[in-house]
Amino acid sequence: MSITRLTTNGLNGTKYDNVSADNYYMEPIATTLVGSGGSATVTFSNIPTGYKHLQIRGIQKMTTSTRWSWVRFNGDAGSNQYTYHSLQGNGSSASAAGGGFADTYGRITLADTQFGGVVFDILDYTNTSKIKVVRSLWGVDLNGSGYVGINSSAWNNTTAITSITIGCEGSDTYTQNTRFSLYGIKG
Amino acid sequence: MAFTYSKLVETTVGAGGTSAITFNNIPQNYNDLVVKISGRGSASALTSVVSILLNGSSTNFTNKYIAGSGASVSTGGIVQFVGDFPAATSTASTFSNTEIYIPNYTSSANKSFSVDHIHETNGTTAYAELSAGLWSNVTFITNITLSIASGTFVQYSTATLYGVKAEV
Repeated sequence: MSITRLTTNGLNGTKYDNVSADNYYMEPIATTLVGSGGSATVTFSNIPTGYKHLQIRGIQKMTTSTRWSWVRFNGDAGSNQYTYHSLQGNGSSASAAGGGFADTYGRITLADTQFGGVVFDILDYTNTSKIKVVRSLWGVDLNGSGYVGINSSAWNNTTAITSITIGCEGSDTYTQNTRFSLYGIKG
Repeated sequence: MAFTYSKLVETTVGAGGTSAITFNNIPQNYNDLVVKISGRGSASALTSVVSILLNGSSTNFTNKYIAGSGASVSTGGIVQFVGDFPAATSTASTFSNTEIYIPNYTSSANKSFSVDHIHETNGTTAYAELSAGLWSNVTFITNITLSIASGTFVQYSTATLYGVKAEV
């Protein structure tokens, strides 16, 4: 609810002033910055329940070319819990790929050995009537090659999301200065 | 000081479903509008197309889209196109994840908008779609309607309208 009026009670009686004070409906929750040692995963834990949607914005770089960044929710690494579908271009052609609940993680972006950006959204993350679905926009330019795409991933669970882990495919790691920031968007 | 999203209207579909979600009397004091949609249709199909109307109008729209189906890519133009939303034969409890961005909705120029949309299901065929839309009308936008082509939006579908503005 927006604040629309301020009331003061003084010697000269009650005064009302109308204000237009839009609330900040998009708020930062947490940021992680990978240090010099690198990291295979980044985790946001104890995510507050007071928002309607979540958004993660990141800049990422890995030590190996053409690797997936993936996401897991509430630490669920079980078999056949995640789908993914991808639409991507590489500067010369476009392709699509994907499949059903067959993975232990949700593939949300391709990453490479240069920094690339990603924004991904999770709507209604506390709604227990909905399977949780991620939408991500991502890209990385390698000065000659590169990729841009939109991905989706579903987690086969209607439980409210309380933690998000982002990780590298295989044994790869995120390099120093990789950063992911979690935002809450109020409803 | 930048004001990020301010929620203007939030709609949650009830048990009876609805064929359209409408935002009326949109305030005119923001720069851009954002609509976030988590929607699902009732039709006996994998997906149902959702379209947008502005100020109640379905005319003077053009569109370009690119879509991935999980196996192939297509591109073209479908006027008023928002996306292929999950319907009854998509995996149960799976809703779309969709964002419509309308910049400068109170300008005296034609209104352009972009759509990022995904549909998920337990199978190869699922849609990831990017669209660019244009409403060739210089009228300020005061009303947005989301209309599903077949059946209704089902219970728990949500659509939230946000205003975005920057102030220094």
